[in-house]
Amino acid sequence: MTKIKRMKKAYKKGFNLIEAYPVEFSETVILVKYDGPVDNFSFSFPDKKVEHIIVNLCPTEPWALPNRAVLRNRTHDFLNKLETVRSKYFPDSHCHVVVNHHEATLFNELNQYKAGANRIPPFAKGEYLHLHTIKPVYPYDAPVLIVKNILGLDIAFGQNAAEQGILLLDPQNVTGIFEYYIKENEFNTRLIPISGTGLKDNKILKVKPGTPLKRMLELYVRTDIKYRVFLDGLLNGAEVKDLTQKIDWSTRNIVVVEERDYKSLFPYTKVNELLFTTSLMGELRRCVYCNHCDDICPVNLEPALYWHCYDRGEKHKARTYALEKCIECGLCSFICPSKLELFQVIKECKSLK
Amino acid sequence: MKNTIKDIETILNENLNRIEAFIHSHPKVNFLFGALFEAADGLIRSTRDTAKNPPFIRNSMDVKQYMGGILVALFFGWVVPAIYFYGFLCVIPKLIVSFVVGVFVVDVIWVILAGEERINEGGFVTCLFIPAFLPPQAPLWLIGVGAAISILFRNILGGVGHNLVNPALFGRLMLTICFPTMVVSGWQEPSTGIPTIQSLMHGVDAVTHATPLIAFKETGETASFLSLMFGANTGSLGETCRVALIITGIWLCVKRIANWRIPIAYLGSVFIFSAILSAIAGKTVAPPIFQLLSGGLIFGAFFMATDPITTTYSQSGKWIFGIGCGLITVIIRGYTPIPEGVMYAILLMNLLSIPIQSIILKIKYRM
Ligand code: SF4
Ligand code: SF4
Repeated sequence: MTKIKRMKKAYKKGFNLIEAYPVEFSETVILVKYDGPVDNFSFSFPDKKVEHIIVNLCPTEPWALPNRAVLRNRTHDFLNKLETVRSKYFPDSHCHVVVNHHEATLFNELNQYKAGANRIPPFAKGEYLHLHTIKPVYPYDAPVLIVKNILGLDIAFGQNAAEQGILLLDPQNVTGIFEYYIKENEFNTRLIPISGTGLKDNKILKVKPGTPLKRMLELYVRTDIKYRVFLDGLLNGAEVKDLTQKIDWSTRNIVVVEERDYKSLFPYTKVNELLFTTSLMGELRRCVYCNHCDDICPVNLEPALYWHCYDRGEKHKARTYALEKCIECGLCSFICPSKLELFQVIKECKSLK
Repeated sequence: MKNTIKDIETILNENLNRIEAFIHSHPKVNFLFGALFEAADGLIRSTRDTAKNPPFIRNSMDVKQYMGGILVALFFGWVVPAIYFYGFLCVIPKLIVSFVVGVFVVDVIWVILAGEERINEGGFVTCLFIPAFLPPQAPLWLIGVGAAISILFRNILGGVGHNLVNPALFGRLMLTICFPTMVVSGWQEPSTGIPTIQSLMHGVDAVTHATPLIAFKETGETASFLSLMFGANTGSLGETCRVALIITGIWLCVKRIANWRIPIAYLGSVFIFSAILSAIAGKTVAPPIFQLLSGGLIFGAFFMATDPITTTYSQSGKWIFGIGCGLITVIIRGYTPIPEGVMYAILLMNLLSIPIQSIILKIKYRM
């Protein structure tokens, strides 16, 4: 019951996925052995001068890597690494660390570090470090929104933030750059969280990029049900049909979800059971103009307008309704009670030139 | 206990699967009963469809729950109070006639003839509206005709999602045109006080009395606000118990099924315009609170005007829509011989919502 109750607290702009789909990871990180060919770590440093580095420690998707796996209770270590990377490769840039506004302990640790950094000589660069808090609401950590909220700057969707001198740095890459380029140690593993109803257990795996998905999942998937595998989240990620596909340094997470392609009786008593599956949870209907899609859209668009254009066969007209602002978060399709494929329509309209 | 339920579920599920397979393997049976089976099956089982495109999980709210919410709100908003005021035997046969004619005859025949895939649950909502805005003594056949016209009209325009104006109100308009005396007479006095078996079954003696709005037109008297609020006054079957309607209407807004902007804009503008006009024109225009609490205004504002398909899609358009409804209602009530203007106001604004929507889009996106 508690789960259903939580669903009602739908957020106006954006949606708190973490509350609606709680995912617990087990504490231990498991190393996946693989002897085949692996990819080496590499980081492409931007050509333009970097003025702002944003490190996001507040995942807004429940299946994303929890930040404790990166920090490992050694926040100061992590911040030292960050400072080293910053002063070596991006001198004079400002570093913005973003944390969840509920995580008071983490925020205090960061504040202590910042206060201490001003005094202790080797890292007397406290003024370059800025702390920010955001609500863990999806998709507030999308590049466009995070840059807008933290720096007040506008970048267009799909534009490389580096052109404006902004570097969005994955916390794992901080460690990567530090170990590989500065310490010149070997660095060839990446943490990948795997989760979902298609698994027996949610785990955080330590994998060498280049490992096929099959190898990572084979021990954990449930064999009694049908499942589907998705890369980088369920809302705007991609489906993996071929499990021999290899993961790379940009893979963020893997979600395996039960495929409910059969009818179940009395679905209203089984919302919890159906919630975290691929079920559409309803039938396809016409748009009922309920305004749920524009209430949830984080950038204030009116997705139903695109669907109407598409429905009338006037795909080219969709562009007139600020289509280019869409950050492709997928929430409009997620919320639509008529189960319209709004996100797909948006992508199709966008691809028209 | 739990196991028995599980067993029954399994058996039921298997049999339903078997019936489904049978229907789909016989084209003729499918033609006649396919949609009917889908509709019945859809009520007790979830769909087989899974997400083929991202996002791969979907929210649990669907159109069935959306319409179900409206049905529940209408049930507690008017059916329950109406049974208390007018008796079981006055309300239930009307509902049955409305549903049978509207959904089970007209809609089913339409679906079969037009070869549509399924029966739309929106029909239940429309049919639940029909008895509500007719007088308590309206004959059953009148309700049947109203339901048939409404559903037919909606289907001709292309079904839910394509209706230009609210189908239930359109049905009511047609009844007003065809049977002008029937829809404005037979305002029965409600039974009040502690209910007895007798009053719950049959209501009290059929004493008729003009509605407060008609009385105001004729004599300039206003009824007491308390009796208007709780429904101890004459009026259409479903519109008198305003407390229940307000509570369920607010519940609908909280559940985000109805859009709160419309009732607020509608009721607020009725209040403001009637205050201004009654200050200027004196007795011809009723005072604001009386206006708010009389006639079908509360019912119309929370349940009819909020019908999402017939309002504008843009949120700012909803304000204009509501204010327009309010203005027209006050003008019709005050300056025409027709005592009640809610129906005309909403129908007119339904038609105007299309130009309003396109003007708003032009301004917003600067085309
Ligand atoms: S229109 Fe774009 S930005 Fe808005 S909810 Fe849909 S996918 Fe997200
Ligand atoms: S959420 Fe779906 S049904 Fe509702 S207005 Fe948007 S497109 Fe239409």
